[in-house]
Amino acid sequence: MTASNWARLCLVCVTAFVVQVALVDQVVVAGYHADVMVLLAAGAGLIGGPQRGAVTGFVAGLLADLALPTPYGLSALTFVLVGFGAGLLAAPRATETLFARGLTCLVAGAAGTLLYAFLAALIGQGGMLTSSTLEAAVAVAAGGLLLSWPSLLGLSWAFSTPRGLGDRHVMPSGGSATL
Amino acid sequence: MATTRRTSQRVTLLMLVLASITVLTLDYHGEANKVITSVRNRVGDGLSPIQRAVAAVLHPIGDAVSGAFHYGAVQQQNQVLMNELGTMQRELAANNQASAEARNVLALDHLPWVGNLTPLDAVVLAGPSSNFEYTIEIDRGSSAGVATGMPVVGASGFVGTVISTGVNHAVVRLLQDPRSTIGVRIGNNGTDLGIVTGAGRHANLGVTLFSSSSPIHKGELVYTSGTSGSGVSAYPAGIPVATVTSVHVATGGLGVAVSLRALVDPTTLEYVAVLLWTPPA
Repeated sequence: MTASNWARLCLVCVTAFVVQVALVDQVVVAGYHADVMVLLAAGAGLIGGPQRGAVTGFVAGLLADLALPTPYGLSALTFVLVGFGAGLLAAPRATETLFARGLTCLVAGAAGTLLYAFLAALIGQGGMLTSSTLEAAVAVAAGGLLLSWPSLLGLSWAFSTPRGLGDRHVMPSGGSATL
Repeated sequence: MATTRRTSQRVTLLMLVLASITVLTLDYHGEANKVITSVRNRVGDGLSPIQRAVAAVLHPIGDAVSGAFHYGAVQQQNQVLMNELGTMQRELAANNQASAEARNVLALDHLPWVGNLTPLDAVVLAGPSSNFEYTIEIDRGSSAGVATGMPVVGASGFVGTVISTGVNHAVVRLLQDPRSTIGVRIGNNGTDLGIVTGAGRHANLGVTLFSSSSPIHKGELVYTSGTSGSGVSAYPAGIPVATVTSVHVATGGLGVAVSLRALVDPTTLEYVAVLLWTPPA
C-alpha cells in the first residue's frame, strides 16, 4: 500500500465514522441500528485480503470505540479479527462480484457483532450475551443490505492504485515493463 | 513466496491483536482512562452539532418510517379520522402534538418529587452508538454544570445516570442497562428496601428485596431509597423509578418475588432533566 492508499483508507474510515455517529446511529428500527464500521472491516478483508482487513479493522475499531462507553480497544480487537477472518475465509468465487461481496460482507458483519458481544462478555461487560445479541446481529446484517455496497466502493477506491503511479507500472502486453 | 506471505499475515494479525489488547488493558485498568475519556468527550463535542442537524432532519423521516411499520393501525386510524374529523381537525391534532411536547417540557420544570434539587432541562440528541449499550446522549454538558453521577429524570421518573460529560453534551446510562444498580424502597414512605438492576431491552427490571416487612401490592410505586454502598450507586431519595407489575408470595410465605417495570420508556424520550445533585464523596 502506498502513502496515498493509507490516506484514502483513513479518509474512508473517518467518513464512515462520522456517518455512523451522525446518521446511522439515529436510524433506529425496532430498537436496533446498523453498524457501518464492522462492515468496513469485513469489506476490507474481502477486497484486500487478510492483512488489509486486519489493518482496516484496527483503524475502524479505534474510531468506533471513540463513540462507545465500553472499554477502549474492544471494537479494535473485534474488527481486527473480523477483517482478518473475512479475508482468510472468503472463498474467491464467492467474492468475485460486488453483489456477492456485499452479501458476504453483511454476513461477516453479523458474525462480527456476535464476536463483539462474546469478547465484551469475556472481559466482564454485563448484559452482552442475551436474546438481544442475535437480534442485534440480524439488525446489522439487515442494515448491511444498504450499507455494505457503499462501504465496498469506498474501500475499493482506497485500495486502488493511484492513477499516476499505476500508469508508471503498467506492463504492456507482450513487452517489458516501462518505468 | 506463499509461505512468506502467510507468515507476514500472521505477524500482522499478532501485532494488531496485541496492540488492541494493550489499549484495552490500559483503558480497563485506568492508566490511560483519563486521556481516552478526554479524547472521547472532545470527539463527542465535535460531532454533537452534526448530530443535532441530522436529528432535526431525521425526526420527521423517522416518524414516517414508524408509520410504515405500523401501517395497519395507521390506516385504520386514518380512516376514522377522515370520516370524523377532516382537514381542520387534523391541523388541530398537529397543534395538540405541539402542545403535548410543550407540556412535557413544562412538566420537567414542575416535578413534584424533586424537592430542593435543581432540574436542568435537556434534549435527547441520540441513542446508543452500539446495539449493546443502554445509553442516551443529551445536549447539556459540563458548561451547564452537568457532572458524572448526576441523576437524569423524565416527567414520570428516573431515567438514568450521567456517566460522562463533554463541554456541550453528556452520556446517560439508562436504568435498563444491566450495569445500573439502584437502592430502592417500595412506596414513598415504605419500609421494604431492595436493589433494582437493569435487565436489558425487553425484560422487566431485576429486583432483590432484602427487607420486606409490609405487604407489597401490584401497582405500587418504587422510589429511590437514597442509600448507597457495595456497588449500589447513590441517588437522592424519593425519585419514582418503577411500578410493581406482579407480586408472588412463595409457599409458606418464606419469600416474595416482585416484578417491576420502569416508569419511563427510554425509546420515546425527547426531553429529560438532569438533577444538579452531586453524589456524596
